[in-house]
Amino acid sequence: MKYLFVVFLLVGTQVVFGQTMEGSIRYLVTHDWSKKMAAVDYISKQRRERIAYMWGNRSEWKLYTNLFFSPTHTKYEDSEEKAEPEDEGYSWRKEVFMVNHDLVKNTELDLIEMLGKTYVVEDSLQAPDWKIQNDLKEVAGHVCMNAFWTDTLKAQKVKVWFALDMPISAGPERFYGLPGMILEVDVNDGGMVITADKIDLRPVEKELALPKKIKGKKVTEAQYRAVLKEHMENKRKEEEPPFWGIRY
Amino acid sequence: MTPFYFRCTCFLLFFSTLLAAQNPSRVDIKGSIRDSTSEISFATVMLLSPKDTTLLNFTRSDDKGNFTFKNVKNTDYLLKISYIGYIPHQQMLVASKTGQQDAGTVIIKPISQALMEVVIHTAKAPLSIRGDTIEYDATTFKVPPGSTVEDLLRRLPGIQVDADGNIKTQGQDVKRVYVDGKSFFGDDPKSATKNLGAETISKVQVYNEKSEQAKLTGVDDGKKEKAMNLELKDQYKKGSFGKVTAAVGSSDRWAGRGNFNRFNQKQQLSFIGYGNNINQTGVNWEDYGEFKGQNSFNNYDNGDFGFGGGGGHYYMMSNDAPLNNFDGRGFTRNFGGGSNYNFDNKKTKFNASYFYNETALTLDQNGFQQNFLPQASFTNTDTTNKHDFRGNHSFATRLEQNLDSNDVIIVKANVRFSNSNTTNRQAQFFNSGEILSSNRLNINNLSNLNAHSVSSAAIFRHRFKKKGRALALSSGYNNNQSDGSDQLHSINQFFTASDYTAQVRQLNANANNSSQFKSSALFTEAFSKKWFWETFYNFSSTNNKIDQQVRNPLQNNERIDNLSVFYDNGIQFNRLGSSLRYSNKGMNLSVGLAEQQIQIKGKFAVDQNSLGSATPTTRKYNNLVPNVDLNYELPNNTWISAGYNYAVTEPKLTDLQPLPNVKNPAFRVVGNPNLTPERSNSLNFNINHWSPASFSSFGIGSDISLYDNRIVYSQTTENVDSIGIRTTTKPLNVSGGNQYGVYLWSNFPIVKTKLTMGVNGNVNGGSSPSFVNNQQNDTRNNGYSVNVDFNFTPSAKLILNVSGKLGLNYIHYSIQQSQNQKIQNHGINGSIKWQFAPKFFFESNLDYAIYRNDRFGFSQNIPIWNGSVRRLFGKTNRIEVRLAAFDILNRRVSISQYGSQNYVSRNIAATLARYYMVSVSYNLRGYEDKLKKNDWW
Repeated sequence: MKYLFVVFLLVGTQVVFGQTMEGSIRYLVTHDWSKKMAAVDYISKQRRERIAYMWGNRSEWKLYTNLFFSPTHTKYEDSEEKAEPEDEGYSWRKEVFMVNHDLVKNTELDLIEMLGKTYVVEDSLQAPDWKIQNDLKEVAGHVCMNAFWTDTLKAQKVKVWFALDMPISAGPERFYGLPGMILEVDVNDGGMVITADKIDLRPVEKELALPKKIKGKKVTEAQYRAVLKEHMENKRKEEEPPFWGIRY
Repeated sequence: MTPFYFRCTCFLLFFSTLLAAQNPSRVDIKGSIRDSTSEISFATVMLLSPKDTTLLNFTRSDDKGNFTFKNVKNTDYLLKISYIGYIPHQQMLVASKTGQQDAGTVIIKPISQALMEVVIHTAKAPLSIRGDTIEYDATTFKVPPGSTVEDLLRRLPGIQVDADGNIKTQGQDVKRVYVDGKSFFGDDPKSATKNLGAETISKVQVYNEKSEQAKLTGVDDGKKEKAMNLELKDQYKKGSFGKVTAAVGSSDRWAGRGNFNRFNQKQQLSFIGYGNNINQTGVNWEDYGEFKGQNSFNNYDNGDFGFGGGGGHYYMMSNDAPLNNFDGRGFTRNFGGGSNYNFDNKKTKFNASYFYNETALTLDQNGFQQNFLPQASFTNTDTTNKHDFRGNHSFATRLEQNLDSNDVIIVKANVRFSNSNTTNRQAQFFNSGEILSSNRLNINNLSNLNAHSVSSAAIFRHRFKKKGRALALSSGYNNNQSDGSDQLHSINQFFTASDYTAQVRQLNANANNSSQFKSSALFTEAFSKKWFWETFYNFSSTNNKIDQQVRNPLQNNERIDNLSVFYDNGIQFNRLGSSLRYSNKGMNLSVGLAEQQIQIKGKFAVDQNSLGSATPTTRKYNNLVPNVDLNYELPNNTWISAGYNYAVTEPKLTDLQPLPNVKNPAFRVVGNPNLTPERSNSLNFNINHWSPASFSSFGIGSDISLYDNRIVYSQTTENVDSIGIRTTTKPLNVSGGNQYGVYLWSNFPIVKTKLTMGVNGNVNGGSSPSFVNNQQNDTRNNGYSVNVDFNFTPSAKLILNVSGKLGLNYIHYSIQQSQNQKIQNHGINGSIKWQFAPKFFFESNLDYAIYRNDRFGFSQNIPIWNGSVRRLFGKTNRIEVRLAAFDILNRRVSISQYGSQNYVSRNIAATLARYYMVSVSYNLRGYEDKLKKNDWW
């Protein structure tokens, strides 16, 4: 049985490669604010420990996001589906967040609501400096390798798992640039964990279409980062957590 | 990276740099991949930086297993090849001299299929491969509690343990077992695996080690032996913290407090204790939060379902938390302490706690009150000396159990025992101009009370498979019992033409017993993704028994029949309601209607024996209660909420009881068993805006209540023989009256991160009809207040704050407009926090309060100035020594001014004024060696 399983997996992989890589991935995103606080190094250790002690695992909230992909385009946005059963019957306003990549032209067109303002970030793709690690793990039926990135701008330690058998250089949020699809992300040791929980291979031409109206302030990647940088520096001076008002 | 490998890399880097000048700048890299039998296509091929494994380029092998990187930078690379089911391969590529680099044929080795399947697919744990080391995550392999490491190893794929405990892997014996890299009690590998508990291990690593011989001689004989390392679980989540403070001061002041917490990943145990005579009647919020730990916040604890759904809100702490609630009057001596235990894993949350607290209060207070009658007024000056002791034992427990992912049950209970005794000496002087006579009343009352209470609830929630469909059920039982006795003694002295004195003595025995059973149900159904329908039902049944027997010690303890009563009262509450909710894109609107019935049944007699013959009075009140609720989140961090409800509230028990309370013969309080429920229309509207970019925020809140039927307290003042001016207060139903409040606030930076300003203001008031000597009096209250606050942080070592407050309160009386009042309470406050040297802190604040009432010519200004210096000692700042001065100007008194219905009152009480204190504290975690900019959390 065991052997059969692996054989099946290997055969399955060939089948996947044989097809056009097009489909959708639903990710479960778990936020944990006490773990986010634990990573804010300018707030005293005593206070961070106190928060962790008082909140334990009661500071989580969950949501779903969707990534649509084809060999030429990807699109990532929050899902209409609710991950917290308690949220059924209550509607939170969704912040504007949409990531569009053109893999042929190697460009991004991202809509990001940040600090109460919507930005349209249009630029060429500038992938993070991933460091490739040695662990293997299965995520959503795919064997993944892991990679690591230290985001100095947002002060985040990002650990991702990418699938060896999904040859599309994409992933959730603004994480991409690896030899395979990113299926799991862990930011700041549990502050935010994104895990693929449903992968469908199907035509997604309709879902990949860009929205007809794109409203927001047009900026380049460098301009977007400059706004973010100023915010991070101000929050450090204020000794306030930096993650409210921006996408984590 | 092994040292040898590292040296190699350094050498290569050095070498390549030397030759770089001669090498072409771009290069083509190619190679092919195969395993022992065939070529591997679609393998991932990566070029990494040898320095830090940064990914520089990647491709895939083609269907012949070949790969190429065209025209890449000619430098050293770490070539990494990975393919499902194979051990990731890596090799160094040194910069090419020719512009053509051939990695040759790379042969990759499969991972043992059993290992792959079990570790990756069954245990869902990362399989870590570092060179020749394979690592297992021990925590994902479940073994029964109490298992040894040996039991754990039997479950790991690729590892065999025989009956004697010998370990084999990949066909070889494991010769040595290390624990955290160190030998464990000698050389026998079994000593570790047989003795250590499986739950202590986080990781198991298996690797090849040089033979013992090779290690001794330093000559590598090429023999490799299997070794195993057991990594212990991270200790960082286990630990303890706590602190203890002792302080002594001038004027015999002292204080002590301490707390200690121990915790691991699932359990928290804490102790806390305090004692002082500096008017801290409980613990502070911060210490109490750490005492309760993870049980500080609980979700879904409200079982009284109604409009607005199941209430998935966090409930913070319990209402009877022993927090410092000193009201500013008198001197207190306080003791308290307790213990709390929390257990929390993903399925079960359990809490149990015990707390004891006591406060002994000595109060000396001077009061002044003016009462307005339709044609006259009288004043009452009052000197009170009160000794009061209260002690409470409370036990609390809560269990939350997730039965499965759709069912949860919460059970909680609180038990409380308390006792109190009070001695109240009061001298009241009545003065009334012309109409009413004047007298002095001396009261000397003693009372004792023992009480215990139980409150408990169970809540069950179930979610159906269909999204949005849910059912919740709850029930609760509450019981309060008290037993008290009063000794009342008053002497009344009259200054009339014929001076005389009258004496009242009474012995009261009071027994109260109140029990309540309640139950609720809530069903939620989703019509679509946007439309929801909720239906709820509430039931409660409350029974109250009050036994008050009053005897006259001057007449052989004979019962005073007109003051003795046995009262039996039952209230049944039923409500069935339904609401429809629309939820979409941040907008949540709910409209609902409920039919509510309150049934009050009461009977009373002079004592319990004669209750049987009493005729009960029964009244039913049926009302339709509508409810509208809106929450709307607009773009750009703006929230709007608004609501309307019609509330029907049953009368308070103390207002219903048909007996006069005559602890003070000049002020009688009489209940009214004919009271009907209070009914009101309430509206509220709130808007909040937050701008994260400019760090500013503002908000407006408002609410208004219009009463259809309101319970007010009528006053009848008359001149009674042997009592003098006697005021009788009795609750009555009246129609009309309103209450309103508008609140505004804003916070914004003047200089970002340095200077912020806050402004808030509010207007509130209302009108309330009441009866004074059977004549209607409409009292109108209007209050206005404005606060302005500046916070200046020029550096991380200095924080300054200045704030000011203006408060005005106007009171208008319809019966005697000449008595209209204007009460003023203003204040200004400045504070400084300064770290003037490493580990040295100076903190001081000055508060200047102004109290004024022009009609009485009352004006008092009270400045309170406090200051302290503290220093931290030790490497980790575990010791703090503080010198503090409180009320340096020695001016502290408590002043309160109040006006309502038909009276204005003012109370001045002595309290703890100037004292100096030195304190020493020890904190296991260490104190923060910097100023706190934000006090939240």
